[in-house]
Amino acid sequence: MMRSVYVNARCELKPGNPEPDYRSLFSVLEARRMGRLLKRAVWTSSQALEKAGIAVPDAVIIGTDFGCIENSESFLKALKGIDDAPLRPTHFMQSTHNTIASLIAIRLGAHGYNATYSHRGRSFESALQDARTQIALGDIDTALVGWFDELTPALSESLLSQGIEPKEHALAVVLSANPEGAVCELSF
Amino acid sequence: MDPVIHVTGAGVVSAVGCGRGETLDALRRGLSGIGPVRFLRTEEKAFPVGEVKLSNGEMAARSGASPDLPRTSLLGILALGEALAGAGLRDLSGIPLVGGTTVGGMDLTEQTFPAYSRMHDCGASTDAIAAHFGGAPWATTLSTACSSAANAIIFGANLIRSGQAEIVAVGGSESLSDYHLHGFGSLMILDPAPCRPFDATRAGLNLGEGAAFLILESEASRKRRGVPSQAVLSGFGNACDAFHQTASSDSGEGAFLAMRKALGMAGLQPADIDYVNAHGTGTPNNDASESAALRRVFGDRIPPVSSTKAFTGHTTSASGSIEAVFCLLALQEGFIPANLNWTTPDPACITPAAGGPARLRHILCNAFGFGGNDSSLLFSR
Repeated sequence: MMRSVYVNARCELKPGNPEPDYRSLFSVLEARRMGRLLKRAVWTSSQALEKAGIAVPDAVIIGTDFGCIENSESFLKALKGIDDAPLRPTHFMQSTHNTIASLIAIRLGAHGYNATYSHRGRSFESALQDARTQIALGDIDTALVGWFDELTPALSESLLSQGIEPKEHALAVVLSANPEGAVCELSF
Repeated sequence: MDPVIHVTGAGVVSAVGCGRGETLDALRRGLSGIGPVRFLRTEEKAFPVGEVKLSNGEMAARSGASPDLPRTSLLGILALGEALAGAGLRDLSGIPLVGGTTVGGMDLTEQTFPAYSRMHDCGASTDAIAAHFGGAPWATTLSTACSSAANAIIFGANLIRSGQAEIVAVGGSESLSDYHLHGFGSLMILDPAPCRPFDATRAGLNLGEGAAFLILESEASRKRRGVPSQAVLSGFGNACDAFHQTASSDSGEGAFLAMRKALGMAGLQPADIDYVNAHGTGTPNNDASESAALRRVFGDRIPPVSSTKAFTGHTTSASGSIEAVFCLLALQEGFIPANLNWTTPDPACITPAAGGPARLRHILCNAFGFGGNDSSLLFSR
């Protein structure tokens, strides 16, 4: 018997929205170490969880079409000698796609299911499908699902040349088996 | 776990060979595939690697794919081709493809940057694999670093459990790239000598590459098609260490939780496990943390454990499915692969198995990734 799945809360930063005040979430040092994408991801996630009244979700599942592309480019530039900067391990560490879900889990102390989907145009849909499937099966009760992407000039150029509209994403939703105060039901 | 999920096909390519036959031969005879860089375009020659011993052109010629695809896709096509054939399937008609990769097309982008390859992203690499065989209703890609392929297997299994699919093609593929060779180098976790998992003198990992795919199938579909079961995926666990973005916790919390979940799902006790294929990368941190987790799960009755990383190198995103195929071979052929290069015990680590013939019924297969993305698969005969 599959359970119904509900969207309990959502938080989105749309392109053009002003950058939130991160001071309540990060120390100055933390904020400096973290790229804009990671800050937006942590901020929207914590807002959505707060709205849903959930401290630690059973699962953290993130979709990202291109991952932390700014860090990838910083590492590539150093690798190719495009700038004189040394190869920085932080850029490499924070260029793997799962660094977003990992950072959120570390901050929440979330030891449950954790996954990242990276499949152009299907990343967020897959993350939702994964969360919905596990809640429906009864494996988990709650999930934080996010969609996070940033753009760089080089990536935008590449996408435009393929006829794809470049888009940023910063969206966090909380799913659960609990219909109370739900925004909507997610159907299969 | 109910319903029963069968493995009806498997394909693998790694530094120790292409396909089931070459792989089995190397695992049984203890032949490592690790050596100096031959195919990867890089100036960094100080570290040995586990390369697949085929150029992109040779792989393309074998499969009929374009040699211009990312190497990740070319490797994946070889492995998925073998898996489909083994399951008696001609293409992916009606079968979702769930891949796992992190490198994707980085091997191409690093040649053209600051311009991106059109096939840079992870999804493009999986889509190219799907397109080669045709018929897939959809495809997606897990990217949880070194546990990507294990998590692709888990998601595929959940699609079957929830009735969203009867057959899924799941696994992972990863080529070497100059990018992550330097990335792991910058983290100072590459060993300039062949890696020595769980050994007191271990000094890091050797990077490898490869791909493996499994065909998972429901009992009803398998019976209807009249295909034999190679093994059963009887449980799995995914947990997060939530400790550090690259390091593992001393207590091995994520690994412990993942193994415990897999056992719980299968309804098995620790004493039922006959062999653990460890993640065992050869880094001081991973092997100590994984050993702590194994001790927490199994107490003082630790079953035979070995890491096959000294055969293949660390095949990163593909390691979860490559080692899952190794576990299937071990189950079917009745042997434990050796933990090559181990000589000196480390009090912080388990003592790995010497390898050799063994009657195996239940095997745990671990795959852990950066970010504490820890997964464990349980295969049964």
